[in-house]
Amino acid sequence: MASADKPINTDVPEKDVFTLHFLQSLSNLRRQNTFNSPEKTNDRVKKIKKAAYVSMARAAGGTNRLWSRALLRRAAKENSKVVRFPRRKKRVTCLRRRRSNRRDPVEEEEAERLRNLVPGGGGMETSKLMEETAHYIKCLSMQVKVMQCLVDGLAPK
Amino acid sequence: MMMTMMMNGGEATEAELFLNCDDMSVLERQRVQLNYHQYHHPGFEPTLPCFFPNSSKMNVGEVDSFLPSAGLDLPEIYGELHGDARISVSPGNITTEFGNSKKRKFGCVDTETKVCNEKKKMMMMMDREVAVEEEEEEEKSKVTEQSTRSIMKTKNKAKKEQNSCSNDSSKVTKDSQRTDYIHVRARRGQATDSHSIAERARREKISGRMKFLQDLVPGCEKITGKAGMLDEIINYVQSLQRQVEFLSMKLATVSPRLDFNIDDIFSKEVVSAPMMNLPNTVMPPHMMVNSGYPHDMVNSGYVHFNPMQQVVTSSDPLSCFNNGQSATMWDSDVQNLYTV
Repeated sequence: MASADKPINTDVPEKDVFTLHFLQSLSNLRRQNTFNSPEKTNDRVKKIKKAAYVSMARAAGGTNRLWSRALLRRAAKENSKVVRFPRRKKRVTCLRRRRSNRRDPVEEEEAERLRNLVPGGGGMETSKLMEETAHYIKCLSMQVKVMQCLVDGLAPK
Repeated sequence: MMMTMMMNGGEATEAELFLNCDDMSVLERQRVQLNYHQYHHPGFEPTLPCFFPNSSKMNVGEVDSFLPSAGLDLPEIYGELHGDARISVSPGNITTEFGNSKKRKFGCVDTETKVCNEKKKMMMMMDREVAVEEEEEEEKSKVTEQSTRSIMKTKNKAKKEQNSCSNDSSKVTKDSQRTDYIHVRARRGQATDSHSIAERARREKISGRMKFLQDLVPGCEKITGKAGMLDEIINYVQSLQRQVEFLSMKLATVSPRLDFNIDDIFSKEVVSAPMMNLPNTVMPPHMMVNSGYPHDMVNSGYVHFNPMQQVVTSSDPLSCFNNGQSATMWDSDVQNLYTV
């Protein structure tokens, strides 16, 4: 088969990068006054979760990955903050043209579900979606590892 | 579909005229050239540089002029070339086969063996890459397989020339296509318009990515279907996301204030970092993960953040993270973190 772009780049930074970002966002959360009230656990949970995702996005791809860009943009929109991304080297506009190209009724039903899962999947062509999914999976597993370590470390000894 | 026709001697003159006419279109010329690559007649003299024996009715001299160019590269043919004309020469017998159904003039069926007459193979080659073996005059001694091709200009892909006719065991398919354009050959029984070929290329790309994902997702080596694979991937992603949510819940409950314990861990690791190496070997692997990673983190953390922050002197190590950070965390963070 050997397509031309076989060596897909799905490198993911080391675990410590993830932990750094996550801890930083957590500490930022800590500074918020409303955070430490013991009652609003759900709120805290949501905030922690969002912090986890955002830190993962920043640690893993930054603005070089479609899913991380979408994630960061979504998070910034929730906070009603504007995020400016540096201009990407690759032309993003070419995606528009390919939009008509990516439809294939057999695959699209399953790809639709994947698109809903992976952030930013709605605007991607199916092959690009696969690539982003692979990187997303790697980053997610790394983030899970980090959080697991943290929880274990913080567990009452 | 390729229609192959046989012309008897009486009609050879027509072929001769066809070949020799000066205003032959490039398309037709290429078709003629393709014939040179496709002759397979066993009785043909291999060392002959041209297809046609000297005694043939064809104009050898004229034909010869095609061969050097035919062997090396084919001209760039655009548009739809649904078939090709083949000329296979047997002593005393000239057969010309016109592949293009539109220009079909003779309705005979080829009686020569050609199992691959109706076969098409799809090939896409990168430019300036000899992805396909060259079929040149010197290699005429080997038995070559006749295959129909349609050559179009499409996007890149690697070679697939070995996927052609499977019937003939002695096939050696060589095509010399060293041009600037990507030549595509349609596979057997498949359409040859550019859309479907592009579609096929796209599908192969997607299946390649799926294979890559298959390595990533644990435990799906047995699943072979695309749908099953996608289901598995989706399940895995969902489970990972659920895990993140669950762990964040746990974090929220375990450390209600998130500051005290983290500082604790941090300071503990900072102080005893040099000493951590010893217990690391003794501790069970589970504990090692916990103690090991903050160690890494501490080292890299200070390496990363010290340039960013002014001074790291406070007893609260975590403050170094927050030094100078404004309320607009996202903006500044994005920029700051990427200057590190």
